[in-house]
Formats: sequence, structure tokens, C-alpha cells
Amino acid sequence: MIIYLKKFGTTLNSRQFGKEALAAFKNTLKEIKKNEEVVVDFEGVITFTPSWGDEFLSFLHKEYKNRLILKNTENPSVQASLEILEEIYKDKFSIR
Amino acid sequence: MKLKLLKISQVADILGVSIQTLRRWDESGKLPSVRQGKTGYRYYDKNVIEEFIKNNKKFLFSLAKKWVINKAESELPSLLYCQNISVFQARLSKLETDLSKVKKLKKIYPLITAISGEIGNNSFDHNLGNWPDVPGIFFAYDLNKRQIVLADRGQGVLTTLKKVRPNLLTCQKALDVAFNEVVSGRAPEYRGNGLKFVRNVVAGSKISLIFYTGDAQLQINESKIDLNIKKSNVCIQGCLALIKF
Repeated sequence: MIIYLKKFGTTLNSRQFGKEALAAFKNTLKEIKKNEEVVVDFEGVITFTPSWGDEFLSFLHKEYKNRLILKNTENPSVQASLEILEEIYKDKFSIR
Repeated sequence: MKLKLLKISQVADILGVSIQTLRRWDESGKLPSVRQGKTGYRYYDKNVIEEFIKNNKKFLFSLAKKWVINKAESELPSLLYCQNISVFQARLSKLETDLSKVKKLKKIYPLITAISGEIGNNSFDHNLGNWPDVPGIFFAYDLNKRQIVLADRGQGVLTTLKKVRPNLLTCQKALDVAFNEVVSGRAPEYRGNGLKFVRNVVAGSKISLIFYTGDAQLQINESKIDLNIKKSNVCIQGCLALIKF
């Protein structure tokens, strides 16, 4: 499955909105098959913060572990946010 | 339509200038008052004051500072005030759009928006249901002066962090923890990494930050990692941040 983050907005910030985004998307996540890759595509995202990212990505990180792949992460706010999330999770994201 | 009028003392308070200065500005036409009744006292149309602030953004930081220093809660002009997170989100998007139009900021404007978002959202997240008096935040920016000002009359960093670090005693130490230590992802320490993100971003780019809480202040200069925490000469309720870029 590919999750296009821009479908949640291009300014992704605040825990509250990250939490809401995940809650709204949980039903769709049920469609993911066993062993299927879960690709999170950051293309089109302008501003990304660790608060939104933590609420949305921590679940995917725990649930899908090494099946979680991040894509198009060049934006500087995406890079800086992923860096701090890696520090919190004590783990590196797989980036394609 | 009936005008919403403010007394001269209220305007002096809002703008952070003396009553004498306002009288002078009235006489010179810089900021005209409305005279009412036989007394001839000066009153000011609230819309005129808002427009004045819009066009004279040099007041932004002193306005915010005054707002968080004042013991008594005072009213903020609506264009500087986000009463809830939805208003803040809308204005943050506007900031993002405005910054994106500045050529020189092309590479860093998402970072400036992101740290503004983290600081503003922190105010809402940490004070939800616990605002001591006025809920919401001061949020304004001046692209000519390249600065963004955020402030809240919330509980401040020490009170917030004490819930998870009861041994914290001073605002200075609380600032150090907030900007330095990565707390675990476990509740109740779930939040609290936003300011570390802010520090990392400032340290890695041409952005500087001054942040006040309680009787402490911190200054991170552009491309520097040092927090320069010290006791402040003012005591504020909540938090006050000045981002320069």
C-alpha cells in the first residue's frame, strides 16, 4: 500500500491533527495484506513536524516494522522531523 | 454600525506606549482619536488600532512581551490572537504561503513554518483545560523585519515538565530539559520533543530563537547549538518566543 501524505494536507503539524489523521485512516490500513510493504510517500508535503509525524508514524512503525518504507523525504522539515523521531524510537527508518 | 471604542489608557496598554505619546500621535495625525461627549476625552476605534498594528509591526515583540508580563489579563487585538488551535492552523498556513514567496527563504521556509508550528502547538497541547486565565496564543509575524512572535499566558515550561519530572525546581533547568533531553515515547511523557526539534533546526540553519518562560530565558543563535540559558530580568506567565531568520 502507498500512503500519500499530501492527501492529509501539505502543512502537517500538531499532535491533535496527526492523531485525527491516523484515526481516520485506520480502516484503510486494514486492507494491508500480510507481508505487504507499507510505503509512506512525502511527495507534495511542504511543512512536516515531529508532533504530527509521531502521532501518525509511531503506529505504523510499531505495527509494520521493517515493512514500513518512507519515500520522497527530501523536504528539509521532513528530514529534520524524521531525524528526531529516529532518536526517540531508537531506530532508523527505511528510506527509498 | 456602532464603533467599538477603547480608552486612551487601554490603547497605551495594547501598544506599550505612554498616554503622552498617544496624545502626540493624535495631534500629528499619526494615530487619530475619536472625541466624544462634552468631556472631549480621547477614545480610539478598535478597528483603527488593529489597522495601526498591522502597519506598524515593530510593536509585535513588545506587545507580546507586555501581554505575558502583565499580571492582569488584557485583551489582544484579534489579528494577533489565536483563541484556538484551528485559528492558529489557518494563520500558520498563511505564514507558510507568505514565506514561500520570499526568494531568499526558498530552502528554509518549511523549517521556519515547522518550528513556529511546534512552538504554537506546544502552547495549546500543554495547556488544554489548564489555561490559568486567557486561553490561546499571540501569533504574529513581520516579513520585513524577518521575525515571528509567539506567546501564551499558559502554565509555562516548569509547571508542565514538573508533571513528568517532579524534581525540577527552576525555570532555567526546565528550559534545559525541554530543549535538550529527548523523553521517551511512553505516556505520560508522550509529548515533549517539539522543542528539541526547534533547537536542532535553529542550530542547523540561519534562524535564531529567543525563548522566555517564567524567570528564565534562552537564546540560540543561528547555526549554533548552545542554549545560552540565564535568569531573565522579567518574569512572564507562560512562554514567549521570538524567531528571527
